[in-house]
Amino acid sequence: MVWLSSRWRIALMVAPAIIVFTGLIVYPVIYSAGYSLTDFAGFGDPVFVGLKNYIDLWNDPFFWSSLRNTLIILVVSIVVLVPSSFGLALLLRRRFPGGGALRALVFAPAIIAPILIGLIWVFILDPKIGMLNHFLGWLGLPQPEWIGGNVLTPYSVALVFIWSSVGFAMTIFYAGLQQLPGDVIEASSLDGASGWKQLLYVTVPLMKESFAIASVLLITNVFKIFELVYVLTNGGPVHRSETLVSYMYFITFTNQQYGSGMALAVIITVLGAVVSLAYLLVLRGRKSE
Amino acid sequence: MSSAVQTAPTATTPTPTPVPTAARERRRRKGGIIAAVAAYLITFLVLLPIVWIVLLSFQSSSKILSNPLDLSSLSLTNYVHALTSLPLAQMYGNTILLAVVSVTIGTAISFMVSFALTRMIFRRRRVQSALRFYLLAGLAVPVYILLFPVYRLDLAIGVFGSYAALIIPYVGVSIPFNTLLLTGFLRDLPSEIEEAAIIDGAGLSRLIWSVVLPVMRPVIATVLIFNVVYVFNEFPFASILINNPDMVTVSLAVSQFQGQYSIDYGGMMAAATLVLIPQLVIYAIFQKQVIAGMTVGAVKG
Repeated sequence: MVWLSSRWRIALMVAPAIIVFTGLIVYPVIYSAGYSLTDFAGFGDPVFVGLKNYIDLWNDPFFWSSLRNTLIILVVSIVVLVPSSFGLALLLRRRFPGGGALRALVFAPAIIAPILIGLIWVFILDPKIGMLNHFLGWLGLPQPEWIGGNVLTPYSVALVFIWSSVGFAMTIFYAGLQQLPGDVIEASSLDGASGWKQLLYVTVPLMKESFAIASVLLITNVFKIFELVYVLTNGGPVHRSETLVSYMYFITFTNQQYGSGMALAVIITVLGAVVSLAYLLVLRGRKSE
Repeated sequence: MSSAVQTAPTATTPTPTPVPTAARERRRRKGGIIAAVAAYLITFLVLLPIVWIVLLSFQSSSKILSNPLDLSSLSLTNYVHALTSLPLAQMYGNTILLAVVSVTIGTAISFMVSFALTRMIFRRRRVQSALRFYLLAGLAVPVYILLFPVYRLDLAIGVFGSYAALIIPYVGVSIPFNTLLLTGFLRDLPSEIEEAAIIDGAGLSRLIWSVVLPVMRPVIATVLIFNVVYVFNEFPFASILINNPDMVTVSLAVSQFQGQYSIDYGGMMAAATLVLIPQLVIYAIFQKQVIAGMTVGAVKG
């Protein structure tokens, strides 16, 4: 294709995407990093304050509680989601009537707008109007403050996240299971491995990369949780249920402390980049195999 | 079913190793039934919240507050309320307009750059792989760091509050993922047909329109679906860059339910159902493509 690859043709094909990408992704990242070092408040001239915004965040109890909440959601989600969605993929791999429909139905929550997911779950988890507490009351059981309280909110957000992601994670595992070399499983069956043993010593090790991909995608998605918190509790009471992203949204757009909000955005980006780098390393490791 | 399980051992007795095979077969079948029941049960539990919202949308607001579990007196009143107060046509019209324009531009420029980065011959090959890496690095950038700079950018170029205010970031945000899928697909695609077309005298535009694009139809469908789903679900940009009530998008309208219907919970549920159902119907139509695309995206990394 040499004679179609003249310099101007290449430039014509490459320029639009590179210009838009640089202007809307790369430039904003540099811009945010720069403004995170100022006291900018949305108007007037920004004054350089060095690392003050970062130090203020370090001393801000709400930063730590939102980090803590994000980590609770992360740990609970991963611990519950990875094994359960893998188990579900194993169940749905078997052939039975309606199996294909079930795979499609379980995935459905993953396409619902996160803001709508939040709204749906308000009517289940809300301490006063939610179905869950009415049901518990009907059974004569205690009715905890699932959302809006100081204790349970991050766990409830994790539950909603798990609900919305289980089909998504299951699909990754299902795709991985489809690609397993059938003869290895067959051979291990003939050697007398069956049930749990076969699962634990043959299937799971072969699925290593699916586990890595599913985990990393779920981790990066947890760092993006925003709408769920925004709708379920709006971060309350007094920011106790914020996640990193919802707290950054509050600082930047509600409180208009842009410099400080950008500092938090930079922190979230660095955390996300560390995880994404791990993801890329996992993929590299896979390609070299 | 149970009779089949019982007759299995006698049917297989003549074979050399009858007992273990029959026992394993029986265990496998029993396991199959248990797995099917478990899968149905889990799917039911996953769908329960959606079913619950649809049921509640027929319930009166006072009942929702006092006893939501009592579903004895359901009516359509909430829908009458929701349909009159919710700008359904407007929010869908706005969202579809945004989706069509931004997804078309985003897919087109992502395709152009992906084609150049995998098929055209750069004088320096390093530039080619460096540019690809540059675009893919965008996958690591969370949209939240972009919100404020894009807000300032929109103000500076004077598009704040217009459709362009959202179209511009939607196009930008879609480039890394589109490039990932499209370059991944193009790399695996053999280039013999293209070479043949060039020898037959096809120019660049002819080559792309008549040879490359038809072959790429499945992956382009996947890219389109993912981008449309993104635009329909997108909330953070819309909440900041749109200040005009006439330009409300689906996500924005949903976020305003809570304010608008602060006491009218039934109306809120009906409104949620009215947004939920089209999403689920569209998904039902395209579910094979959505799941196939997700698998490609996840497995190819």
